[in-house]
Amino acid sequence: MQDFINTFHIDWRLMIAQMINFGLVFVALYFLAAKPLRNLIKDRTAEIETGLNDAKTNAILLEQTKREYADALSKARIEAQKVFEEGKKEALVKKETMLNDARAEVSTMIENGKIVLEAEKAKMVNDAKRELASLAILAAQKIIEEKK
Amino acid sequence: MENNSTQLNIQQPTHEVTIFAEPIFNVGGLQITNSLLTSWLALLVIVAISLAIRLKIQKIPNKLQNIFELVLEGAMGLVDQVTNDRKITDKIFPIVFSLFMFILVNNWLGLLPFVGSVGFNVLEEGHTVFVPLFRSGTADINMTLALSIMIVIASNIFGILTIGVWKIFNKYVNLKALGDIFTKVKHDKSIVIVSPISFFVGVLELLGEFAKVASLSFRLFGNVFAGEVLLASMGAIFLYVLPGPFLFLEVFVGLIQALIFSLLASVYFTIAAQDHSEHEEEHSEKQLASV
Repeated sequence: MQDFINTFHIDWRLMIAQMINFGLVFVALYFLAAKPLRNLIKDRTAEIETGLNDAKTNAILLEQTKREYADALSKARIEAQKVFEEGKKEALVKKETMLNDARAEVSTMIENGKIVLEAEKAKMVNDAKRELASLAILAAQKIIEEKK
Repeated sequence: MENNSTQLNIQQPTHEVTIFAEPIFNVGGLQITNSLLTSWLALLVIVAISLAIRLKIQKIPNKLQNIFELVLEGAMGLVDQVTNDRKITDKIFPIVFSLFMFILVNNWLGLLPFVGSVGFNVLEEGHTVFVPLFRSGTADINMTLALSIMIVIASNIFGILTIGVWKIFNKYVNLKALGDIFTKVKHDKSIVIVSPISFFVGVLELLGEFAKVASLSFRLFGNVFAGEVLLASMGAIFLYVLPGPFLFLEVFVGLIQALIFSLLASVYFTIAAQDHSEHEEEHSEKQLASV
């Protein structure tokens, strides 16, 4: 044993010094590099996993939203078509009513106009008659005066 | 003529590759060897790298962080392959990885140009001997022995913490097997032969722990020291170009040896954390069930 120790110069103090060295390496490497890096890698992996899951969820949501959008759009189109049709019908009805009203009004106006015209005409005839009578009187007076 | 030869010796100092690390200076009775100096240098390098990573750590990694993350993930994968259990990997990985880095940096520092070539002359028995200031940390048995002892002790402590003192104690001094002779002899006569064998196996396990220390320390020391001798020999044959390929070989050997040492350490930790008696009981139960 002594030969072995002498040949290799084995010294327990050197061994302890090397153990301390290793201890320091362990502390430096573990606490400064390995532990923070492993934590970082774990966090990053978790983040990536969450991101991927979120992306999947988002893709599903997007697909669903697209489908809902398409459904809503087609429903809206149908609804719009319906509203348009109804509007059209209503407009036609209104148009008809308005036309009828207009026709009725026009005919009333014509009737009224006719009555007014008739009245005017009668009045004019009366006036003319009266005028004519006065003229005839005047003429007769003149003739009489001339004959005198 | 004698004067001339003495002068010649003084002018051309000899440099022999010694099997031990040479002392450089003394601090309070402790001889600081060139290997210890190199391992301090390795410690500095590792602390510097760790600090650089700590200071520049960010979610979107830069080049250094990328490399380190790659190494870290790869190393975890390797240890996972050995342990087959992420929980054990999480527990032993810091020590195994530190071991790998420490040995690797030490091995590679030993290949740098200033290691083995920068030094001073010392007059020894009338000869001027060149003493290099740096020598690979792992080319000193004190270092490899210290690491091996530490790993074997740490693996046993890990075993105690994982499966308990009694089971680890029984692994080496199998009192349970001896007790089984009295408790199970009625059901199984063969226990009279099996139990003493189990006890002896426990003693062999105990010896095996010493063998682990020896094999771990001498494998690493032998490989790195042999590499140094090989490089020195090639340099002595022809200093230019010839050592080049061997230098590459040593870079590879340095990596492989660091890997082997740390993987064996993880194997020892894993074995220590496994309850063999449970396996044996399960095995015997399965055997009984199949019968």
